[in-house]
Amino acid sequence: MLVLLASLLLVGVTSLLLGAGDVGPLDAWSVLTGGGSDEARFVVESLRLPRTLIGVAVGMALGVAGSLIQAVARNPLAEPGLLGVSAGSALAVAIALVLGASAATLRISVAQLGALAGCLFVLTMARVNGVGNDPVRLVLAGAILSGLLGALTSLLLLVDQRSADEIRFWVIGSLAGRRLEDLRAILPSLLFAGVLIVAIARPLAALALGERVAVGLGHHPRWIRLLCVIAVAVLVGAATAVAGPIAFVGLVVPFVARALAGPDIRRTLWLTLPLGPIMILSADILARLLVAPSEMPLGVITALVGAPVLIAVVRAHRLPAL
Amino acid sequence: MNRPDAGVTPPPGSWRLSWALGERDYSILIERRACFVCLGLLAALLAVSLLSLCLGTLTLSPREALAGVFGYGDPVSAFVVQELRLVRLAAGVATGAAFSLSGCLMQTLARNRLATPGIVGIDNGATAFAVASVVGLGTSLAPPPMALAGAATATAITFALANDVGTRGYRFIVTGIGVGAVFGALTQLLMARVAIDTANAAYPWTVGSLNARDGAALVWLWCGLAIGLVVACYLSRAMRILRFSDAVAQGLGYRVRACRYTALVVSVALAALAVAVAGPVGLVGLIGPEIARQLSSHRGVSLIASALSGAIVMVAADLVGRLLLAPIEVPVGIVTAIVGAPFLLWILLRPAPRFQS
Repeated sequence: MLVLLASLLLVGVTSLLLGAGDVGPLDAWSVLTGGGSDEARFVVESLRLPRTLIGVAVGMALGVAGSLIQAVARNPLAEPGLLGVSAGSALAVAIALVLGASAATLRISVAQLGALAGCLFVLTMARVNGVGNDPVRLVLAGAILSGLLGALTSLLLLVDQRSADEIRFWVIGSLAGRRLEDLRAILPSLLFAGVLIVAIARPLAALALGERVAVGLGHHPRWIRLLCVIAVAVLVGAATAVAGPIAFVGLVVPFVARALAGPDIRRTLWLTLPLGPIMILSADILARLLVAPSEMPLGVITALVGAPVLIAVVRAHRLPAL
Repeated sequence: MNRPDAGVTPPPGSWRLSWALGERDYSILIERRACFVCLGLLAALLAVSLLSLCLGTLTLSPREALAGVFGYGDPVSAFVVQELRLVRLAAGVATGAAFSLSGCLMQTLARNRLATPGIVGIDNGATAFAVASVVGLGTSLAPPPMALAGAATATAITFALANDVGTRGYRFIVTGIGVGAVFGALTQLLMARVAIDTANAAYPWTVGSLNARDGAALVWLWCGLAIGLVVACYLSRAMRILRFSDAVAQGLGYRVRACRYTALVVSVALAALAVAVAGPVGLVGLIGPEIARQLSSHRGVSLIASALSGAIVMVAADLVGRLLLAPIEVPVGIVTAIVGAPFLLWILLRPAPRFQS
């Protein structure tokens, strides 16, 4: 845990030091130690700092959401991006924009509603003909669903040029140009989800032992699942509203956390808190540096890291049961 | 008249064509239903094509459109039909047929109904390499050979990774989805690295559209399709047997491995050439064979019918995309995704699934 926190600190500072502009690491460092030119101070404090903080928030939200949805679906491959939850909230935001909305706070609640709808849809689908019993089949269904929702989003953007210009960069997932107000807007949702998770962590751990065990221990599996789905939707909706749909973070982070701490969700949830931001921030630094003067979408980097992990999990001879 | 089988009546529901060539006699059985299905599909394809020639910003009557095809009639409508719509129609028919035939071949050889090049990441590999060719990275070959190289790379990776999980189950498919995601990300990476104009030139490849077809790639595709159809006809008997276990096919005297490799090569090449023309519209490769399968009897693998229904789906989807939001054109890839995804879900969710093709 200490090592993880230290590396999170390291990545965070690196994210403040490195960037695409003229302000080099040394200038930025002098700002951090209290000196520095005005230009460097502006770049670090009003561009890189909000970006880094938002990266931390988004990373935590996506990592925790991944852990939760894997526990609910009892499926090591479940992931908000892969299952179509992020695509659902992107579509909801697109619909709202086409209908004429544009307020930032509205965007967050709409994105959360969309995430909830996507989540419920895919979990309902999992009950049809035992799709949920086969982890790989559920992922396939989710991939199809997110393909469908993505196509619908593109269709809407074609229809309405104005909203297309407004969200074109948002819809591919990126941390660029976000302000501190965005972070403040999602903070209540994150706190709400945090309280919810503290309340259901223990029952969730019991649920991992099986439905009957959980009932025997005095828990109500249906309620736990519902609350868990709500928490996932709140987290994913908030993260998507700020940073756009970013896939594969919720797959890789719980995977690493389980490898470090074993299957108990009460322990892995703690580990995902630093792991998510580490992944998002490193991906964001790469996204800034790889194509130096311009930037690339964050989702590209996470896909390049995450897809091989997906393949590795699928190829494991026995899928680790959750 | 000493044909050995002259007196044998053909099985019910089929015709026998027999002829003598030199010393030897040849005969083939033609299934009556397959004949009717193919003729029906051909008629439907002609009807859809005629519609696609008639409708658009400038609406023509069928008579005017046909006159335009043969070069007489009003010069304006002749220009629209010959220069714009006819080329587009040719691209639509060829890509649809190629995607669908390629999907049908791969489904059969992998014995997996969901294993089409679009789903297991081969289209994305071809797209990534074609985009690399357009944005001028490294050795700049024309898009078609680059697409072939990309498809071959993606196929090699997917099938190598599937080596110990087999091609039958869902694990193969999800492995392919992962490979496809990597290539999709590479495409984005390439697009982000170049100037905006170059990126715009490469954009159609990433969504799938018949708008920016270029002549050379279309010629490549038609040649490939002609060869592919001939090989497919030659293979159709073997494909029918490949649905059984390898031991059965081998016992009946087929060289299973050779058949499979030939089918794989044809399938991958067709998908790649079609991607070079229209971008990844891979869901056609799933819808086309499924329509053909519903229409045909269960005895055969209907390769020709698959190609025809794929062409119909592609032309119809392009027509819908052009007309739906009239001044704006919806890329055909989006139309097929919206139509095809519910269909895929149905395949996945229906009760008592039989995933053999």
